[in-house]
Amino acid sequence: MFGLNRLPPLVRTATMMLLLGGLVGYVGTAFTTTFVADSGILGNSGESNAAHKYMLALLQRQSESLSQLGPSGDVVSRALQQQNVSQQPQDVKPLTVTYLGGASSGRVSVQIYAVEIQASGGQYQFLPFSLTLIGGRVQRVE
Amino acid sequence: MILATFLGGLVVGVAAYAITDKGVDANPYASLPKVAEPAAAADVARALENDDPKALSDQLDMTVLQQLQTAIDPLLDIRSIKFVGAVEKNGRVLAAYVAGGRTSDGTDIVRGFVLRLTGDQIVGVN
Repeated sequence: MFGLNRLPPLVRTATMMLLLGGLVGYVGTAFTTTFVADSGILGNSGESNAAHKYMLALLQRQSESLSQLGPSGDVVSRALQQQNVSQQPQDVKPLTVTYLGGASSGRVSVQIYAVEIQASGGQYQFLPFSLTLIGGRVQRVE
Repeated sequence: MILATFLGGLVVGVAAYAITDKGVDANPYASLPKVAEPAAAADVARALENDDPKALSDQLDMTVLQQLQTAIDPLLDIRSIKFVGAVEKNGRVLAAYVAGGRTSDGTDIVRGFVLRLTGDQIVGVN
């Protein structure tokens, strides 16, 4: 395979071991970092990628992404959520999105953002969003 | 020799992941600079952590207290309060906290809440 059988046995074995080690190292690190981040074992307080993506989807009214990133509800609940998102005013423009911080306890994590929004009528709002994640998935938005 | 090669590959694999992992996606919007914890908000956080209802009632009016109650519900026994960050715009400050503790059925949970300030006055809770 891949011309490896043309190599001397020692070189072939060393190459296979190197590739195997690389694969184990890459996949193991990916699995470990994801597992640790989602389980909250280390009480991590950095920004969660899931929370970040959810906030952007919320502000950009991406109902499909919100369904994927949000709580896993029944089909009717998800349809209602999509309808809610599509009925929101289209002329709302986010000005700034600031990650304030977060904290974890076990699998539950809280991530808080401050958002500045400008509507086309000139109405300005400066409001916070608090996202509660369980196991790396957004379960509650306030 | 074989083990050393495997371990070498392992190190290369970990390094490759560290290089290719982009972490959190870039924020397409601007961010506000963080500010220090406002003193009035710190007093409220201290009163919550010390389980001090008198200090809370001295610092907050009834409307804000009710908003705070809603924000931390269903926390019953607050064990910790952590200030996570604050931002200011046009004299309005948002100060974010995470409260940890137990619910009435003994479950450990965390709840996030944000104190809204205008000047030195707490005007609302989200």
